Amino acid sequence: MTAEMFLGAAVLAAMLRLAAPIALAALGGVVTERSGVTNIALEASMLVGAFFGIVAADRTRNIWIAIGVAVLAGLLVALLHAYASITLRSDQIVSGMALNILALGLTTYLDYQLYGTTGTPPDLPGLPDVHLGFLSGLPYLGEAIGGQNSMVWVMALLVVVLQLFLFRTVPGLRLRAVGEHPRAAETVGIDVRRIRYVAVLASGALAALGGAYLSLGVAHSFTDGMTGGRGFIGLAAMIFGRWTPVGALAASLIFGYGNALSTSLQGATIGDVRVPVQLLGTLPYILTILAVAGFVGRSRPPAADGQPYEIEGHA
Amino acid sequence: MTQLQQPATTGPGSESPAPSVRQLTFQWAGGPAIPLLSVAIALVLGAIFVLLSGKDPIAAYSALIQGAFGTPYDITETIVSAIPLVLTGLSVAIAFRTGLFNIGAQGQLLVGAVCAGWAGSQFAGLPGVLLMPIVILFGIGGGAFYGGIVGLLKAVRGVNEVITTIMLNYTIVAVMHWLLQAGPMTAQNALGTPASTPIGAGARLPVIVPNELVLFSRLHAGVLLAAAAVVLFWFLLWRTPLGYQLRAVGLGSRAAAQAGIDPARHMVLVMAIAGGFAGLGGMIEVSGLFGRVYDGFASSYGFDAIAVALLGKNSPVGVVLAALLFGAFVHGGAYMQSHAAISSNLVAIIQSFVLFVIAAEALVRSLTRRRRRTPKPVEAIA
Repeated sequence: MTAEMFLGAAVLAAMLRLAAPIALAALGGVVTERSGVTNIALEASMLVGAFFGIVAADRTRNIWIAIGVAVLAGLLVALLHAYASITLRSDQIVSGMALNILALGLTTYLDYQLYGTTGTPPDLPGLPDVHLGFLSGLPYLGEAIGGQNSMVWVMALLVVVLQLFLFRTVPGLRLRAVGEHPRAAETVGIDVRRIRYVAVLASGALAALGGAYLSLGVAHSFTDGMTGGRGFIGLAAMIFGRWTPVGALAASLIFGYGNALSTSLQGATIGDVRVPVQLLGTLPYILTILAVAGFVGRSRPPAADGQPYEIEGHA
Repeated sequence: MTQLQQPATTGPGSESPAPSVRQLTFQWAGGPAIPLLSVAIALVLGAIFVLLSGKDPIAAYSALIQGAFGTPYDITETIVSAIPLVLTGLSVAIAFRTGLFNIGAQGQLLVGAVCAGWAGSQFAGLPGVLLMPIVILFGIGGGAFYGGIVGLLKAVRGVNEVITTIMLNYTIVAVMHWLLQAGPMTAQNALGTPASTPIGAGARLPVIVPNELVLFSRLHAGVLLAAAAVVLFWFLLWRTPLGYQLRAVGLGSRAAAQAGIDPARHMVLVMAIAGGFAGLGGMIEVSGLFGRVYDGFASSYGFDAIAVALLGKNSPVGVVLAALLFGAFVHGGAYMQSHAAISSNLVAIIQSFVLFVIAAEALVRSLTRRRRRTPKPVEAIA
């Protein structure tokens, strides 16, 4: 093993690339759970975003329309979840599971009907990379962040914006109030249901951006179930990051780094023993369990997270 | 208001707290009418979906039925597909009965499969009378351990079981990548899909349908283990003090605690039992079908199991029927794809509709109950 395997610019670049979709899903998770709605259908929003982004790119040959369609698809899934969990007050986990199964079935079904067994077309427009010319002279940074995809930068921007929004603005305070104590929030005139709708929809759009990044930014194609549980890892990052955007980013970076290592350490040995790189894949999940159990810090969800809210005098 | 005409059978004593939507989702009342209706609605929605994608729904469904039940062989294959769903369905159902949401049947099944596969190849030389019980115990034990962690974390540290089970599902997948690709269980000669070394002959569950009856049937003795598990589930819940306590915890853990039942201890126990059912399912897949552990096998049993348990109303008979229905979907879906050119994923779409309808049904009932519960003073006197 060499230091290059751990800290090389290529590893850093891979870390950012792999962390971006997780972070986008995690940001979605932060927004929705801060408002008091658990959304395990982030995976579903991601997957439909990835798929319909590719379909739109194929039909229109326009990357901006493709992104728009991807976000729209993610929003639609989130709208179903919002309707089920806020208006119908049905079980949020059951609704989320149903949407995850639906999204996987739907995208795989349509993929087969539209593209058969040949796969999506090879020449689709993709999300552009951002080449930072002024960094290209620098030996390390140039390779690490000089050529990242535009969505990575969008993600970084969204982390800052959402952190400020949630903790430095009045609407952000209201959103958090709704997630901590909806009854009190309503007493001071906050429309609990409206804020929750907006938050769930936003979470779907953010997750869909993550999905679009995977299909339009990285793979330039769609393969069945390509999100591979990243929506769930996003939820893990949200928990490990203690329900804050900056924390979620940090957690996503740790998880992304673990992923990057499992590639760079492939085939590496300590003495005669091959490094079990596959076990690095367990890192996000075990860290998250430890965090929630209070063994690594204490990660506490918003007080009203996952509880349906019944408006006063509604029944 | 029609409620006015209802006789006031509910006195002041009925002021029990309203059941939560979650409880209603898990323990919906009534006979088989509502499950049948929800499947029917899901099938109609599925048909509309097929129509929208420019295909013939009648052709789709007749191919689905033909594929699932067309020949004796297909019927045995449908049962083969249903077996793991019965076990994971029981796993989810017993947790629901105690008020816990086990999303982890998937992971528990995989741990059971890995443990059974390890024991089956490690002690491959033993005769079947010794090896088979060992493999069964490893399967159940592995699943029970994995489920028990969830119960323990919930009881001791208050960790939501939904979070832990989701995380543990993915943990075992990564561990299996290591075990089967470059770890201690990896078969040296495995080409294509990474797999473990084969289990011994004594660990294989025999095919129980003779070739004279159904040629090349794969229906194995695992169906008997599954049947035993169903009976055990019924006996445990309705014929033992423990089962009574578990159901009491599920109906209201505070009331159960008042009655001297320790909910924390029961959380650990029920999650271990739930994991044991799923782990047995994993062992059956390894011993009955594959003879070894494949990397990435059984990707969706645990999630289908949630639909199976909810559709089967967490009852033993209901779980079996729902598992057979989903088994028919799985096996018939492949035929539908090859003969009607409709992706077998239509089946997953129908399954998700089933879940939606169930969630919506619980809502409708919670609304009607709530309205009945709050009579105006005048009505109360009448």
